[in-house]
Amino acid sequence: MKQSIEGRELITLGMFGAAVQGTYHRSRATNTDASERPVGILILNSLSLPRAYTGDAAVYWAESFAESGYPTFRIDLPGLGDSDGSLPADLLDFVNSGGFAGATADKVRELVERFNLSGVIIVGHCAGIIGALFAAEKSPQCQGLVLMDPYFHLKQAVRPKVRQKLSDWALHSSTGRFASNVYDQLRKFYRGLRGAKPPANANFPLLKCWKDVATTGLPILLLKAPARKATGTKPRAGEFDYLQHVLKLAGRRSQVTVKFVDGTDHSFANKAGRSAIRQHTENWLKSCFPMAGQIDRLTNPLRRENSANEMSAATTSHN
Amino acid sequence: MNTTRQSEPDMQEEAGYLPVPGAHLYTVLHRVTEPVARVLLVGPFASERQNSYLPWIRWSRYLAARRIEVLRYDYRGVGESLGQFEDMTFEDWYADLQLLADWFARRTPSLPFILHGLEIGALLAAKSFVSGVGDAMLLWSPPATANQALRSTLLRWVGLEQLLTPGAERRSASDYIRQLEQGVPVEVEGYQWSPRLWRDSFQWELPSFPEADRDSSLHQRPTKTVKLPKEAAPLVKGGFVGYDEVKNFDWLFEKDAEWIEAQAVACGECQR
Repeated sequence: MKQSIEGRELITLGMFGAAVQGTYHRSRATNTDASERPVGILILNSLSLPRAYTGDAAVYWAESFAESGYPTFRIDLPGLGDSDGSLPADLLDFVNSGGFAGATADKVRELVERFNLSGVIIVGHCAGIIGALFAAEKSPQCQGLVLMDPYFHLKQAVRPKVRQKLSDWALHSSTGRFASNVYDQLRKFYRGLRGAKPPANANFPLLKCWKDVATTGLPILLLKAPARKATGTKPRAGEFDYLQHVLKLAGRRSQVTVKFVDGTDHSFANKAGRSAIRQHTENWLKSCFPMAGQIDRLTNPLRRENSANEMSAATTSHN
Repeated sequence: MNTTRQSEPDMQEEAGYLPVPGAHLYTVLHRVTEPVARVLLVGPFASERQNSYLPWIRWSRYLAARRIEVLRYDYRGVGESLGQFEDMTFEDWYADLQLLADWFARRTPSLPFILHGLEIGALLAAKSFVSGVGDAMLLWSPPATANQALRSTLLRWVGLEQLLTPGAERRSASDYIRQLEQGVPVEVEGYQWSPRLWRDSFQWELPSFPEADRDSSLHQRPTKTVKLPKEAAPLVKGGFVGYDEVKNFDWLFEKDAEWIEAQAVACGECQR
């Protein structure tokens, strides 16, 4: 058996914290300056999925980013995929509270040291964004974040059966659809009364962490998938607009770019989704982390010299 | 770089790429000291991999802890293995299984060799077993045909698709089946199903074999087939993501690990 084949290598990261298994996709850049330390990309598990993701989409993205010149790593966090370790019985609660943040920060540090990187961009999907955000807060080596279809509320692992049945009814019968629309309007009215306050089930520590991270000027790419009964980046009627809320929290000096990906679902695993993610991320990488080193001063220093640097003006964009 | 990992004092997990004609297969060998048997795990189909991965690995480790050497792998074009999924056929996956079985069975010392498959993996394992590979076989939830497994995956995916699609644009499972029958590929949970894959799936049936196969001239070749209940999710379809992964599967693992050990002992005695 081989540990390494063309373009890929199986790795174990165990210098700091628990050992984890991963795949390293070597950069295929041919025109880089040998003295330049590249920025690496680290793709985290999406909740409990193995490091390949749904439809092996993460393998596709990792190969693509490596082809564009960015060394890319996909790892299984402790207890997930091929990595050893025990998971808590309440996995979702653990993830929601940033349980993987320490392990992620450890691995970022190890990647930087072992692969001689200038820093790491952490990529998270769904629940994976929570560990990514909390790790970014802990890790000085984190230079950017790619957050795919994030959520900022506390999800329930098991949906009550009655609620599930109501959802099915609302989906499959015309009366149900009508009732669902009425319900949405009532919620919208109620939401209007509450003002811009997040609902009680918001993940407040995560929102605080977001604010702490985004206001430093760390470049963040936020990719949004279509949701049921929602239009573009706007939520379903009656639902709290977390996106608007987090952009407001990020402030004017933040470097948050928002892109909406149409024609896909939450997993981004279909052709349309995976190629849009590739395109948006590569464009963002080229703009924030150019390879040739010519604007090296523009990358990480945004974070360190945020208050003094006018170049860190907000570039939030909505598509 | 070293990818050999010590999970317990006398167990090691060695991940690697095994070359097969035209591709490399991702394999993980669970080495143990003084093994009593070898088990080749043939996993579920493409999009079921991600759901069943954690309990499947826990099962590998459970067996390894009982001094059973385990080899698990990803199908060509799936997960960490190389290859284009849309170009693959059941014949390709079967050929890969035969190569892996041959490689694994030849390891020293010579030990009882058991094939174990889950879902479509059970069909492939059964076909391999009928061809003479293995000393015993354990099947978990084999479908009657590969098409049955594909159909249930398609139904689940269509259900999820419908959640996002407005009423007028919604397509039913039969629309997609018609599309495949008309020669147009369908993308299901990120995997491009070719019309050929669909067509071939009808031919891949669970072979019939007697409960204790006596074809072998050396000894009986025992088999065991278990239809996993819903409680076995996410090894089988159903359940809740983020909740089922950490369930305790000892009720299932213990019985079948004991069965494997019993076959290893019986087989070892026959070989003497």
